[in-house]
Amino acid sequence: MVEDFARVVAADADFAWLEPEQGPSCGACSASAACGAKGIGTLASKLEARRFALPQPADEPRFRVGERIVVGVGAPTLVSGAAIAYMLPLLTLFGAGFVAQALDGRDGVTLLASIGGLCAGLALAALLARRMSARGGLALHYLRRAGAATACIPSGGGS
Amino acid sequence: MKEYILLFVSAALVNNVILARFLGLCSFMGVTTRVDTAVGMGMATTFVITVSSMIDWGVERFLLEPFGLGYLRTVTFILVIAGAVQFTEMTIRKVSPSLFQMLGIYLPLITTNCAVLGVTLLLVEGKMSFLDATLFAFASSVGYSLVMIIFAGLRERLSLAEVPQLFAGPPIGFITASLLAMAFMGFSGI
Repeated sequence: MVEDFARVVAADADFAWLEPEQGPSCGACSASAACGAKGIGTLASKLEARRFALPQPADEPRFRVGERIVVGVGAPTLVSGAAIAYMLPLLTLFGAGFVAQALDGRDGVTLLASIGGLCAGLALAALLARRMSARGGLALHYLRRAGAATACIPSGGGS
Repeated sequence: MKEYILLFVSAALVNNVILARFLGLCSFMGVTTRVDTAVGMGMATTFVITVSSMIDWGVERFLLEPFGLGYLRTVTFILVIAGAVQFTEMTIRKVSPSLFQMLGIYLPLITTNCAVLGVTLLLVEGKMSFLDATLFAFASSVGYSLVMIIFAGLRERLSLAEVPQLFAGPPIGFITASLLAMAFMGFSGI
């Protein structure tokens, strides 16, 4: 199980909305103050973009705003998710590229065919991911509450 | 087909990005504490390197080379890589918000990974055809992922071993990496 911290930013009777805390991959580095990586402002570094909802626990007190909890995802789920998102589009990219190279041979045509293959792979990945999500296969799971003083990632993700 | 296999083996094992060219060492040490996170990071990097190399090849062939703008190569490639990472983030977010929750954490790290820029500069210097260049980029990133996963496995075992305090943490990691690099030197005989 790959674990990470998340903070509750909103809650109602049925659901709580959480934002993941910034991972320590860069932050824990001794050179983080001088490093430009964290200032890039990519989409994934914006925590609001990674906000997600969890159902309120049935057998424990409800989540409250500001509370830190530990969420997790199974390692096989992470690997299969990464394979669908990244490897499948690359497979279709190369499939289309090799076919175009064999049929035509010009670099420009192979480039266009590869882009087409990539787009087809992304569409296929979206379809597969939607099916997996509908079955609950990609969901993050609530594991336990974390104390305010707990400062490190329980397992994985750290440098 | 034989030349494609040779190109793949050469880029992935003989001239490994991490252990032979010493690129991408930051993520190599930073994201290899667990095998599953190394797999996630490796796949994300493979995707970004392949896509950005594909675009960079087109930019070099159809823009920089014909107009004599070779001096803008590094700047342009960095821009393309940042764009490719942003595209990947947006795509993963659109394709599956759940996957984005799980995998989004690795993406900002890739933007500043010198292995990405290094591979694209190498394939441009090699004057390869489009398919060769894309396969070279893919093979290089597969080699990168392979080493990341092997090293993560070694570090998982190291965390259970009794290491002298002086060598605990990154020092024993670097010693292990150097032994792994020597092991990979064996592939140079292929």
